[in-house]
Amino acid sequence: MASPSLAGLFEQKVVVGIADLAVSNNQTLTLATYSLGSCIGVSIYDPVAKVGGLLHVMLPESKIDIDKAQRQPAMFMDTGVPALFRAAYQLKAEKYRVQICVAGGAQVMDSSGFFSIGKRNYEGLKVLLNEHGLKVQAEQVGGMVSRSMYLNLATGEVKLKVSGQTEDFILCKS
Amino acid sequence: MQELDDYINRVKHLPPAPLVLPQLLPLLNQPDIDCSKVVEVITYDQSLTAAVIQTCNSAFFAGRSPVDDLQEAIQRIGFREVYQVVLAVSGARVLGPAQKGYGIAEGELWQHSVCTAVAAQLMAEDKGEDTSVVFTAALMHDVGKLVLAGALEGIYTKVMEETEQNQYSLLETEKKLLGVQHAEIGGRLLARWKFPANLVSAVWFHHQPSAAKPFEKLASFVYLGNMIAHFLGFGFGHQAFALRGRSDAMEILEFTSDDLARYMIKTLEKFAEVQKLFGGMGEK
Repeated sequence: MASPSLAGLFEQKVVVGIADLAVSNNQTLTLATYSLGSCIGVSIYDPVAKVGGLLHVMLPESKIDIDKAQRQPAMFMDTGVPALFRAAYQLKAEKYRVQICVAGGAQVMDSSGFFSIGKRNYEGLKVLLNEHGLKVQAEQVGGMVSRSMYLNLATGEVKLKVSGQTEDFILCKS
Repeated sequence: MQELDDYINRVKHLPPAPLVLPQLLPLLNQPDIDCSKVVEVITYDQSLTAAVIQTCNSAFFAGRSPVDDLQEAIQRIGFREVYQVVLAVSGARVLGPAQKGYGIAEGELWQHSVCTAVAAQLMAEDKGEDTSVVFTAALMHDVGKLVLAGALEGIYTKVMEETEQNQYSLLETEKKLLGVQHAEIGGRLLARWKFPANLVSAVWFHHQPSAAKPFEKLASFVYLGNMIAHFLGFGFGHQAFALRGRSDAMEILEFTSDDLARYMIKTLEKFAEVQKLFGGMGEK
């Protein structure tokens, strides 16, 4: 058995793929998701229960493919966010205690509106959170960059790696 | 044209020409393919030959006794499949290396290109187009970046300034700072490598598909494939999203925003499958 200090030396990552989510109360883990383009990463963390989750959403609305939404709710904002919260509740997270962080939603230079997936993803999230009276703690959304997002489950710290930038960006301090 | 050739001629390290592809492409349209012709083209390239035989003996195609001869391998798996293997090997060779000037790490341009090709192929399939041609054009669309990457490396701050502050697209930034842009350089490069006119045109105009007439459909597949790859996070580089949304591609192919979203879903699924063949070869 490794001692806790040793575990801290070897940060273990659980990678959340595109249209996927992960929730855990294992404090030796960091949840990570890579290359958020127009997709949006949503992290939640309950600092009391020490439970966190990370979601990598691809599209705003599940109505485009209902079957898909049932099999893979994390693909869509309107099914992914509820699935993320439900999974965290099972580990004793509480709704109004969780800190919510958001990253991604990059946007091409588009006046036609055809290609505003990033913007629509973000708008979908805001509507959903408003309906539930939830607020975002910190966010870095839009722009022309791609981002990777990391949630440390011991501390609740959320870190971003942004394309074109050498320094990590701390989105939410522990 | 001269300006493009001058630029290409000045660059010290050009990507290796995928010589086999333009020789195989015309065969795709032939109903009866002369197998010996295919053997003749591929046989001089040892790693291509090995890859074709290896694919033939892979779990997916195996079942009978293993094959150790190129001709037999082609007969067993068929020309289209052989073409895919050749495309995977020669594409990875060209597009695999890191492109520092664009902030692209090793394997990333290849991943981006394969994702673009998968998306373009799925759309083309539904529109009844020749998917091998569309796949090839989409796979090669960023080949011009290999030529410009060296020059961009030294002027990174300027590039960022143009895209971030002045809101120029990457293409416009290249044109402003270097006098040429990666799409036209890529098109010209393919022409010099003797690729057919439709592929040259689709690559040349992959950021302005309506200008690719009479190949505007092919260019639109490539344009939208590229867009989907970006959306899914397979658009790499410093300011990956510094590209312009062009409604003409949507109009040419009669697509709606919802269609685009559906192709994102399909692409994600298909990409996972295709990566087994293409992805493995992209990594070193």
